[in-house]
Amino acid sequence: MKLEKFTYDNQLSKLFMFATIFWGFIGMLVGLTAAFDLIFPALNAGIPWLTFSHIRPLHTNAVIFAFVGNGIFTAVYYSTPRLVKAPMYSKILGKIHFWGWQLIIVSAVLTLPFGLTQSKEYAELIWPIDIAVVIVWVIFGINFFMTLVKRRMKHIYVAIWFYIATWVAVAVLYVVNNLQLPTSFLHSYSIYAGVQDALVQWWYGHNAVAFFLTTPYLGLMYYFVPKAANRPIYSYRLSIIHFWALIFIYIWAGPHHLLYSALPDWVQALGVVFSIMLIAPSWGGMLNGLLTLRGAWDRVRKDPVLKMFVVGITAYGMATFEGPMLALKSVNAMSHFTDWTIGHVHMGTLGWNGMMTFGMIYYLTPKLFNTKLYSKALANTHFWIATLGILFFVIPLYFAGFTQSMMWKQFTDAGYLAYPNFLETVTQIMPMYYLRAFGGSLYFTGMILFIINIWKTAKAGTFGRYEETEAPALEKTLHESTNKMKWGWHRKLEGNAAKFTVFALIAILIGGAVEMIPMFLVKSNVPTIAAVKPYTPLELQGRDIYVSEGCYLCHSQMIRPFRSEVERYGEYTKAGETVYDFPTQYGSKRTGPDLAREGVTSLPNYKPNSWHYNHLIDPQKMNAESIMPPYPWLATRDLDIASTPAKIRAMIKLGVPYPKGYDKTAIDDLQMQAHEIGENLRQSGIKVDDNKEIIALIAYLQRLGTDIYKNKN
Amino acid sequence: MDKEMKKPDLNKDDYEIDTLTNDRLIKDHEYDGIRELDNDLPVWLKWMFYLGITIAIVYSIRLFVFKAPDLIQADEYQKEMADFANNNTVAAENAAPFQVKLLTDAASLAKGRETWTKICAACHMADGGGLVGPNMTDNYWIHGNTVQDLYQVVTNGVIQKGMLSYKDQLSDESRLEVVSYVLEKLHGTKPAHPKAPQGKKYE
Repeated sequence: MKLEKFTYDNQLSKLFMFATIFWGFIGMLVGLTAAFDLIFPALNAGIPWLTFSHIRPLHTNAVIFAFVGNGIFTAVYYSTPRLVKAPMYSKILGKIHFWGWQLIIVSAVLTLPFGLTQSKEYAELIWPIDIAVVIVWVIFGINFFMTLVKRRMKHIYVAIWFYIATWVAVAVLYVVNNLQLPTSFLHSYSIYAGVQDALVQWWYGHNAVAFFLTTPYLGLMYYFVPKAANRPIYSYRLSIIHFWALIFIYIWAGPHHLLYSALPDWVQALGVVFSIMLIAPSWGGMLNGLLTLRGAWDRVRKDPVLKMFVVGITAYGMATFEGPMLALKSVNAMSHFTDWTIGHVHMGTLGWNGMMTFGMIYYLTPKLFNTKLYSKALANTHFWIATLGILFFVIPLYFAGFTQSMMWKQFTDAGYLAYPNFLETVTQIMPMYYLRAFGGSLYFTGMILFIINIWKTAKAGTFGRYEETEAPALEKTLHESTNKMKWGWHRKLEGNAAKFTVFALIAILIGGAVEMIPMFLVKSNVPTIAAVKPYTPLELQGRDIYVSEGCYLCHSQMIRPFRSEVERYGEYTKAGETVYDFPTQYGSKRTGPDLAREGVTSLPNYKPNSWHYNHLIDPQKMNAESIMPPYPWLATRDLDIASTPAKIRAMIKLGVPYPKGYDKTAIDDLQMQAHEIGENLRQSGIKVDDNKEIIALIAYLQRLGTDIYKNKN
Repeated sequence: MDKEMKKPDLNKDDYEIDTLTNDRLIKDHEYDGIRELDNDLPVWLKWMFYLGITIAIVYSIRLFVFKAPDLIQADEYQKEMADFANNNTVAAENAAPFQVKLLTDAASLAKGRETWTKICAACHMADGGGLVGPNMTDNYWIHGNTVQDLYQVVTNGVIQKGMLSYKDQLSDESRLEVVSYVLEKLHGTKPAHPKAPQGKKYE
């Protein structure tokens, strides 16, 4: 057989690796700042872009798309050529991919902290950046799939399967979730509203976890674990079964983020049952990773790379068991909206994504730089600090979530809420927030040791950009004895990357289609309520400020159908109430109280305009122990009134029943309502102009949840 | 079926033995030096998968076919509310009419202080000096200065001015305690930043 000579080019693997390290440092630093913001609300020093609600989306986007994203590309650009025996298809496309991706991240850094956001979790980026993401993703896809076309290996390996599933699923998820109608270069409205938007958001959000944090990292695992351990993969059959089961089932599970919400029971149930079925396929990945180390356990004790992998894979197993447990309605009734979720997520990200990334880079750097790792002892120290950091991060948050939820639900014997003041339940768990910040600091310290170690290693060696290699050309005809083996049909499929991709695409489309199509087409899923009317122009502008300030990150707008919630917040939220919310502001976390009925005067949470004014500017003046950051700039910034007509027109296009030509008179209505609120505040002795942002935000807050209460009073 | 599973799926020439584990390495499965073993799935994992699928089917049948009320959240909510109402009617019938009379004992005033700091201080400040709400330390009162007057305000609120009704949030006793705390302890003190007097002067 004739051997063909070709070359691996390590340049892009190296660049992506350094980008992973750089953005990992930044993303974690921002996360740590957020953790300290929660302890010391005055830490933002009156600066918007240092405020928790502004940097939290930066943290999530940075660690997911910048840290893990570059980690994925490092793994793909390094392992794919080696697994298919062909160099990456195009150096130019690779370069555009690399710099395009970094540019996208930089633009995220320049927009998210400054309030330019869509408010869809992990999809906050504004529409021009979304388009850039799609373009770069397509370029990556061309480069990747053309490499498969040019491959010299007949069959594609399981790591490649996972890369394929990642590419198709992320493409579908990202585009569908981000469909939006621009009103200006920097602003848009999601085309989905209310409960339908919530379903799309969590179909996306959940599967960002599945297809950005999980499947590509399983691909990474399938390449780097056997390479580092020098052991064969435990079970080829397990690879097949868990791969297809995982990608098919995962996509259905999104609605478990919306249990006991306004989402119809049948969709919630699908979220529950598919989450339960997901345990075994997830653990299949864990087992294939851990059991591959059979015969290498003696080395695990000594080798920091393998140690990192073992903790990473174990964390994956723990997180993927905990996930389905949190998707059980009875557990979710307690855990949802609490810090438990934050703890759960960080078990996955710090444990699985973090440790797998560290392991990969500790393995890769000496290979790329033709040298030995600078210090094994330092890597071992990193390992221990990071592991301890995870425990100090996660366990306190489990405890905090459990404690706070119990307090929210507790009644006195006389039938009153035992803790009617939300703040009490926050001050109770503050010690846990301190511990979390400590855990995060430990993990971050480990990150610094990691950077030193990699830097020293790279400096000591010389970068070997090109690796000459050779492999036989791909034979066109194939005579395989394996055809008669049990999984022969799958073996055949592995020989046809195009067919494989189509099958993967079908597998990931089914779940989303079954859940979303009826939600959009069958009217009974969103029963309309006649009393619910569109927002006034001022309220609409106020809502955009609510979005831009990131209020949804700490305040939910979803009262769940429990007595404890109805007592605290008022009538539970109905699907028909949020039909004009583009996108929905249901939220996923209650660091502060729910705001779904903030404007209903007959409810315990109601506050007068003057209270809101004082509270937004200086929350600690109203409640010394409050951990809400101050938003003083709301009182000094002028509202962008000129944007109103375009926003109204967009709303009309999306089906909001404003009268015809309302965009022309909307500003008059806006100013009238602003003047009313301004007068009311001035009567309370507050000096404020009608044209300030805070007026619009107060108008929005006072509108929240009031529509269905109008007839009651 | 079971027998067939145990039978080798491969011919002798299709595999080699991995010396460390004695498991079969599949021939021709080698990618950049990575080999694959021909192991079956761990049995318990298979059963875990079957169990998950069974639970999913049972759960779905219960909801979609039998409309089980414990899986339909509106039904669950109604049951929770009904259970509470049934237990509470008895208590309400047995209760004697509540007497609004100033409390002066230290224990009640301490409880009143607790409620004050937790709830009232948000608008009236911890030292009673007033902020959004009026000053409680001076001799000026908007809605009267008797314990009954204050109790009425706390119970029903003055909603147009932003004072909330606390009758669903605080028990009769708690409301009386906090009102007594205001009259007995806060009134007549010197707060750090007193709000200007509002209402009528009472001597």
